[in-house]
Amino acid sequence: MRKGSAYVNGPLIVQSDKTLLLEVDHEQADECRRAIAPFAELERAPEHIHTYRVTPLGLWNARAAGHDAEQVVDALVQYSRYPVPHALLVDVAETMDRYGRLTLSKHPAHGLVLTTTDRPVLEEILRSKRIIPLVGARLDPDTVAVHPSERGQIKQTLLKLGWPAEDLAGYVDGEAHPIELDEDGWALRPYQKQAVENFWHGGSGVVVLPCGAGKTLVGAGAMAQAKSTTLILVTNTVSARQWKHELVKRTSLTEDEIGEYSGTRKEIRPVTIATYQVLTTRRKGVYPHLELFDSRDWGLILYDEVHLLPAPVFKFTADLQARRRLGLTATLVREDGRESDVFSLIGPKRFDAPWKEIEAQGYIAPADCVEVRVNLTDSERLAYATAEQEEKYRFCATTATKRKVTEALVQRFAGQQILVIGQYIDQLDELGEHLNAPVIKGETSNAQREKLFEAFRQGEISVLVVSKVANFSIDLPEATVAIQVSGTFGSRQEEAQRLGRVLRPKADGHQAHFYSVVARDTIDQDFAAHRQRFLAEQGYAYRIVDADELLADS
Amino acid sequence: MGRMSDQATPPRSLAEALRVRDDASLAALLRARPDLITPVPTDLTQLATRAGTRASVVRALERLDRFALQTAEALAVAADPAPYDELLGLLTGDEGDQAVAVALPRALRILREQALVWGADDRLRLVRTARELLAPSPQHPSPTGLGPTVQEATSGMSPGRIQEIVTAAGLASTHDSVSAVAALTSLFTHRKRMAKLLAGLPEESREVLSRLVWGPPYGQVTADPAAHLRRLLDLGLLLPTAPGTVVLPREVALHLRAGRAHRTTEPLPPAMEAVSVHRPQVVDGTAAGQAYTALATVEELLKDWDEGGPAVLRAGGLSVRDLKRTAVALDVAEPVAAFWVELAYAAGLIASDGEADERYAATPAHDEWLEQPPAQRWARLAEAWLTATRTSGLIGGRDTKDRTLSALGPGLDRSAAPEVRHRVLTLLTGLPEGAAPAADSVLARLRWERPLRGPQRDDDLRTRLAEWTLSEAEMLGVTGRGALSGHGRALLGAPVVEKARAEEPEGPGDKLPVHHHVTPVLEPLSPAEQATASAAAVRLLAPQLPEPLDHVLLQADLTAVAPGPLQRPLADVLGVLADVESKGGATVYRFTPGSVRRALDAGQSASDLHAFLAAHSRTPVPQPLTYLIDDVARRHGHLRVGAASAYVRCDDDAMLNEILADKRAAGLRLRRLGPTVLATQADPATLLDGLRAMGFAPAAESAEGDVLIARAHAHRTPPRTAPEPVPDGPPVPDTTLLTAAIRAIRAGDLASTTPRKQPPPAGGALPRTSSAETLATMQAAVLTGEALWIGYVNAEGSASQRVIAPIRVEGGFVTAYDHTADEVRTYPLHRVTGVAELAEDA
Repeated sequence: MRKGSAYVNGPLIVQSDKTLLLEVDHEQADECRRAIAPFAELERAPEHIHTYRVTPLGLWNARAAGHDAEQVVDALVQYSRYPVPHALLVDVAETMDRYGRLTLSKHPAHGLVLTTTDRPVLEEILRSKRIIPLVGARLDPDTVAVHPSERGQIKQTLLKLGWPAEDLAGYVDGEAHPIELDEDGWALRPYQKQAVENFWHGGSGVVVLPCGAGKTLVGAGAMAQAKSTTLILVTNTVSARQWKHELVKRTSLTEDEIGEYSGTRKEIRPVTIATYQVLTTRRKGVYPHLELFDSRDWGLILYDEVHLLPAPVFKFTADLQARRRLGLTATLVREDGRESDVFSLIGPKRFDAPWKEIEAQGYIAPADCVEVRVNLTDSERLAYATAEQEEKYRFCATTATKRKVTEALVQRFAGQQILVIGQYIDQLDELGEHLNAPVIKGETSNAQREKLFEAFRQGEISVLVVSKVANFSIDLPEATVAIQVSGTFGSRQEEAQRLGRVLRPKADGHQAHFYSVVARDTIDQDFAAHRQRFLAEQGYAYRIVDADELLADS
Repeated sequence: MGRMSDQATPPRSLAEALRVRDDASLAALLRARPDLITPVPTDLTQLATRAGTRASVVRALERLDRFALQTAEALAVAADPAPYDELLGLLTGDEGDQAVAVALPRALRILREQALVWGADDRLRLVRTARELLAPSPQHPSPTGLGPTVQEATSGMSPGRIQEIVTAAGLASTHDSVSAVAALTSLFTHRKRMAKLLAGLPEESREVLSRLVWGPPYGQVTADPAAHLRRLLDLGLLLPTAPGTVVLPREVALHLRAGRAHRTTEPLPPAMEAVSVHRPQVVDGTAAGQAYTALATVEELLKDWDEGGPAVLRAGGLSVRDLKRTAVALDVAEPVAAFWVELAYAAGLIASDGEADERYAATPAHDEWLEQPPAQRWARLAEAWLTATRTSGLIGGRDTKDRTLSALGPGLDRSAAPEVRHRVLTLLTGLPEGAAPAADSVLARLRWERPLRGPQRDDDLRTRLAEWTLSEAEMLGVTGRGALSGHGRALLGAPVVEKARAEEPEGPGDKLPVHHHVTPVLEPLSPAEQATASAAAVRLLAPQLPEPLDHVLLQADLTAVAPGPLQRPLADVLGVLADVESKGGATVYRFTPGSVRRALDAGQSASDLHAFLAAHSRTPVPQPLTYLIDDVARRHGHLRVGAASAYVRCDDDAMLNEILADKRAAGLRLRRLGPTVLATQADPATLLDGLRAMGFAPAAESAEGDVLIARAHAHRTPPRTAPEPVPDGPPVPDTTLLTAAIRAIRAGDLASTTPRKQPPPAGGALPRTSSAETLATMQAAVLTGEALWIGYVNAEGSASQRVIAPIRVEGGFVTAYDHTADEVRTYPLHRVTGVAELAEDA
């Protein structure tokens, strides 16, 4: 910039909608990223300019992590290329100032109490109709008793009122149970260690790591810290088995110490892995499996895939505020927008490492993302145009041309471990038949699934066709190519999961490939655009190629 | 006019006092009180007279700062004329006050200059009107809280009572009331004797006095006051003013106040406090950033209104809905949007188009404005803002008639606005560079400089104007982080950096020359001066504004980020090619199929777009973006849409060639759409006739493609119902009606055949019967068909007598054939005073 100008040539541009644009190639970019990461959520990370967003939740997360408004303002002012609007700085300071004015703590005589450092705030919230039923007697002008059972409720409500409370009421230790990490021939990666440390230090909270970055190990590390009975909540049975397998392998725990609480088995052991599905089963209006939470004096509760946490689980969690809670997720973005409940009930974000950063450290494989556009044949186009609205996606997503392209791709990568992922069973069956590969779908039994997965892992099978049941939490270490032929209407979560399938570090350093096969000029393409945007925002450059080109090449 | 000798006799009137003033001093007077020269007075006597008129004096008093006003108030309760020392005593009290003593000459100078005070220091005289306005009277309590003097309060008192008081106070009785009052006054003004007198009072009495001492000086007493009150009344320390009301005489109050006319005097303006001090570079940078945002916002507003802005309300102004919409479009709060709209209006960039269907639109000046460099564009806005009397802060509020004040509407002009704006900013120039003032201290200072007469309020117009000024100055980038920026300073015509200016007095006791505190540092500038000042501001601002960039960064997520403001042509093209996703220091654009299509629609080709992106991108164009443009371009224009009103279809394209080649077909304006189709703007009938005239035998085709048969079909209507019969004349009446009618006819008949015999019995008095009786008689008459004689009072209250044959009595009305009027009439029963039967022989 010019001499005498007020502008420092900083890497950061502060936008009026409270997004921060970070120029990645700037020499100060890394420094700046570290400075803003505590309070700003990385929203998009394409190749040149990363977008962060400053939200109240993010600012409170930063407060919870011990940062103050001055640091935030300093970071903005120091790295900003243009003068930061005064109003924004004031707003940041004011928002951050709201956290911690109210504190939940243990009082020796009165049990759980809510205290304030700012009396008018207490007065204000005590006037709220939603707060009144949650609190007890006013002990002194700055303190009010809170019913211990409402610890979660009141935190949730206070956050909604814009006065998030700091929870210093502490945790019960729970029933002790010896757990050690069995670091034989492997060790926790530095960022995993950091995540465990941050979590333990903060008490409860969420660790955000990309797929393939080893979230399970962070969970195991936390358990080894807690050394107490642990309840692990996971999305489905396969994932539960995976957890069990991993825990047995990585910790001092034995098979007998780990119970599975699912639709088929109801074991309660020092470490119990339960599925969301069984917990949220309702019979005659009640949740029969709720007693699981009280069945033992749990010292730690682990939530896998927090962004998928079903609403009823929030309700149970509200009653579990005296126990340490660790949430694990790849993204804090919830399609239902309940990020604030995650914040108030499970805890603030304790650790966050962007995808690209971990990739750069070599822990996850870089991926080559390609969208292949296939043309519908003339007769298919006509049929598509006349199809019912709700049938359209299915129609274009399952076009026969996709099969040809898939076959070509499988041929091209022959010898590598290939996953073909799709939504529609007919299509998958057909593909399985043509590719001569086994198909894993909803009706495949768990035993069969595990057998196939194992075979795939061992390299006995090189092509596996999977439906969306394989989306979550399965671990396929050696998949190097993923071909997605259809999906759930462009869900970003799904894309993250699927990409995660191929991002595991490869033994031979092969580049991972991620292909999406998309029908041109149809709603399939629109959904694909949505997914692609997600990929690009995650920093994965992608290409678009025409099927004809691809078929001509191979 | 020459200046008279100082040794001349002291002036005996204001006119004489003015006469001895020099030209400069008269000029100062006229500058301070411009109302005195409209119209220009013929001579100084007239000027003096005019300066003494009530309206002019009120206006002058309103413009005094607090201490000058306090001085005038003190003078109003002092003797007339008052020596300087007495005035000083009233202001400082017995203890003395150095700050007041220092400030008083300045205050007097102001009062003299404004012709509110005249006379030498030993004979200071407040002009009579001012004295009347400021001196305490029961109707207008003085801000000093003092009451009337002993002399004034005893003016209506009986000489005997005065003598009693004098005696009670321990003074010798005198022969006349005048000397008695004088003696009493001198007692009350003598500090020592007075102290002794008061010391002899009971505690309760002293308490009563202390309650009245700071005003209001009036109190209520009962007819038989308690002993301690009695004592005060006896001594004349309280004097009766009206039955049951007493007043604390001014002399007594002044004694109790230790001689002070005001509880607190404020000889010095409240100091301006800085809440924070930033580096001047930071302030200038922030202000420049904000200035740029201001420009961007106004440009965006005008762009939004480019193709026809919102409609003008019939009463003038912008509807609430349109303002809301604008606020959403600009992504700001409504009051802020209102500010920008008003600013653009004040700068002459938008106006009503004056069409029948009136709308707001950009003015030609706007196009000129757009061509200017950014700093000049800003100066134009800032100048308009400084001098505008329109006040956007009022928008959304209600006027005195409870009508909502709308943006751009009437009723927003406040003549004080430019002056307050200028004053607030001038105050900021007094702070060191980079210091942001506490808003409260600015407001306190303004209140000191122009105190409100009457009770102090926080929401008076000047205070609100000052608050708006502070926030608007920040939005406009005149200030940054609350402190006046370098270009803001220049805009006001202040020397940009001056060391002396950097020391603002901290508070009372400061030894800086007094004028430094009070006299406005800067006068509002004349247009020519303002132009110079603006030019200076432009010079300072221009290097601070970010330089427009000529490049963007393209990314694979189909966004383009402009890491700063873009050069206009680039921004314009990009604005068409992509949607703006986020604004601020940078602009984030997103490419979508829709936006690319928009660019193609705007006449760009795919290769133009590729070239454009390649030229302006710092980074390689991502493959998905290239693909997107090609993909959209591939489909763009694939389908063509046009309007035609008729076509010619023929399987034989040779025949169509023949038609097209035929000169006679030229008038049909046929166009070939495909090998077998011609289209035309002519209607089918003309086309048919034209083709037939050329010797062809065309057949007309229906919308479904069937050949239309030329033979006329029998013409049928849509389903219709048969018409209802419309009988001639009214329907047959029912029995009741018939009976009534007949009765009426008979009654009429009776009236016409029998000699009209009005039987006014007993001297024409109206018959009087009770209402029950009236009703009963009426009902009976309905049954018998008899005629009755009634008294009736019409709506105007005039009474009359009528002969009626009742037909129906219902709902408090009687319908009857009125023999007197020869028609059927309806009378309310309550108006009928009474009834009587007609004589049998009638």
